[in-house]
Amino acid sequence: MRRSESRRLDSNDAAQAGGDETRRWHEVSRRRLLRASLVGALVLSGVVAAMLRARGYRTPPGRKLHSLSGWQFVVVQHAARRITAADRQEDSSIPSADEVDVVGFVDAWVARVDARLRRDLGRFLAYLEHAAPLACGFGSRFSLLAPFEQDRVLTSVQSSQSDLLRAGFDGIRSLVFMGYYRDARTWRAVGYDGPWVSRPPGGWW
Amino acid sequence: MSGEILRGRDLAGVGLTFDADAVVIGTGAGGSVMLRELARAGLDAVALEEGAYLTSQDFDQREDRMLAELYQDAGARTTDDMAIRVLQGRGVGGSTVHNTNLCKRTPDEILELWSRKYGIGEVRPNDLRAAFETIERDLSVSDIEPAQRNANNEILRAGCEALGWRGAPLKHNRIGCAQSGFCELGCSYDAKQNALKVLLPEAVRAGARIYSDIEVVRIVHDGRRVAGVQGVARGADGQPRARVEVRSRAVILAASAVGSAALARRSGVPDPRGTLGRGLRLHPGGVVVGRFERKVAGWRGIPQSYECTEYLSHEEGSDKRVWIVTAFAHPIGASVTLPGFGAPHMAAMRSYPNLAVLTAMVHDETSGEVAVDGDERPLIRYEMVERDRQQLGAGLAACARLLFAAGALEVTIPALAPVRLGNVRALEALDLSVLRPHTVPLTAVHPMGAMCMGEDPRTSVVRSTGEHHQLRGLFVADGSLFPTSIGVPPQISIYAFALHLARHAIERARAG
Repeated sequence: MRRSESRRLDSNDAAQAGGDETRRWHEVSRRRLLRASLVGALVLSGVVAAMLRARGYRTPPGRKLHSLSGWQFVVVQHAARRITAADRQEDSSIPSADEVDVVGFVDAWVARVDARLRRDLGRFLAYLEHAAPLACGFGSRFSLLAPFEQDRVLTSVQSSQSDLLRAGFDGIRSLVFMGYYRDARTWRAVGYDGPWVSRPPGGWW
Repeated sequence: MSGEILRGRDLAGVGLTFDADAVVIGTGAGGSVMLRELARAGLDAVALEEGAYLTSQDFDQREDRMLAELYQDAGARTTDDMAIRVLQGRGVGGSTVHNTNLCKRTPDEILELWSRKYGIGEVRPNDLRAAFETIERDLSVSDIEPAQRNANNEILRAGCEALGWRGAPLKHNRIGCAQSGFCELGCSYDAKQNALKVLLPEAVRAGARIYSDIEVVRIVHDGRRVAGVQGVARGADGQPRARVEVRSRAVILAASAVGSAALARRSGVPDPRGTLGRGLRLHPGGVVVGRFERKVAGWRGIPQSYECTEYLSHEEGSDKRVWIVTAFAHPIGASVTLPGFGAPHMAAMRSYPNLAVLTAMVHDETSGEVAVDGDERPLIRYEMVERDRQQLGAGLAACARLLFAAGALEVTIPALAPVRLGNVRALEALDLSVLRPHTVPLTAVHPMGAMCMGEDPRTSVVRSTGEHHQLRGLFVADGSLFPTSIGVPPQISIYAFALHLARHAIERARAG
């Protein structure tokens, strides 16, 4: 949002300056074409689901969201649980995605990025929730699937033939890992001794 | 007279309009040198920086916070097709704040090529020697001693030695390094002798003013000469707070190969031959991960202190165009690098202390483009040509050989279908053509080109002096100038070129 606001300021200034050199370079990018294809696929595969996608989600009580909508919050939460330490039988001290509030981090991070990235993320989450399960033969949305079914959907998107879908998966995966491995409680599991700055006297773990 | 560094975010609600002899856009390697030289020449010089003014007190070694503060788009910038992540700095000091301090001069073969093929004047090795020597002295460039080499770099050296491949220690600009290993997140110990620590303070002492948090949105001009710039100051929340206008007859673009070209394009800078934004090079690179029996703890110590140049030649048209260095990261960077998700990914992460990582960076022939999208944001078009794809595949395979030669138990090439190799013989069965963009995660940290220098206005954007062919008073002083890839990290070249060209900008600013 802030970017477009700045351009409006600038456009006014340019008009005042009387310059006709403000030649626009609004080009149709490959990203835009791919995005259009993705949106098209989404519409074709689940118009009804897309229309109803905001319904039936339990927004966490008392939590103020900064950028994600209620349904996006739930989708990210489910994806984060599977992307991080999904099976912790080896070491129960490994924190879960919920314990380190990965989705809260994603919500705050997305609030800081520009509108284009936010739109891309929203579209990918809609695809993941509604269209990707259909592509795997599931008749339910992603957030209602069993964990092993969610893994199948994520694996399918990760290895998709579509460059855009893989990039979308990589984006959410990177965000989730950023939210997860920022937390000192995860560092013990991977043997990382943490920053020197503000290090507690006994170390981070 | 002493200048100052002012935070644009403190301008809340107050517009700012003023005159200056010269205005520099961007405060990284090129902008800092230009600003210092302009101020030392007695000119009223101002720099405008889009990002924040942070110092060593602010660098807290936390990946999540520093990525958001020090990198464009919080580290999420990519090429238009999303095949390559492009890491670029923002903030006072630009990319010199987060880079790993590598200092390699522009190779002589490259400078000779630019002189011979592109007709660039005063660009041969002897012409630039003084600039390189001065800037290396200013920034205290020196060898990284073997005793300072960390375990990951020692693995690269051992691999080179075992294979009989060409390798060498690297020079850095650092003094009093604590060897904490957090260089890519800003130096908490002020050991980096960079734009932020050295050159910008010198510029301020000479009278320059620096404004942070100001995004320049337009270069003002009449098609023949520049008249200044218009921008917007943003608060800490990123919201616009005030308009800023600087009237000046000399505007120096130093906002990076992506930022400078994007600003020039959306400002309608004359471009009769369609050369503006073209010729972008990225030095794209992929990584290879080796797992060792012994603990490596690659995140500790000085990064990138050794190089392998066995597959690198700077001769034009060479079939050896891969530069290999280490590329270790902290847990967030490492987790993103390792393939997969869920339990298998966590299993791989539990080997984190035993991993060593190398990167193969392509000295690219691909010519990309910087454009502007519908939101007037930079758009990076870059489709790797087949010859570069082959280099990438060969480079990743070479990294795997080096890791095995140094004793790796297992080597992984992160890819759409991750390549896991149990021994060096498995490499022979590997189809290198699968190692290409969109199947291998790629990162670029050295954008260059896009406002290339040259004497022929049909093929270049600026003259050998750095001044725009058509727009009097508009100069370029960053990596945008380079008409080809240089095949080495560009920071010291950008510093040196800015110093080399500063006299022309000074002359123009004085003439008014």
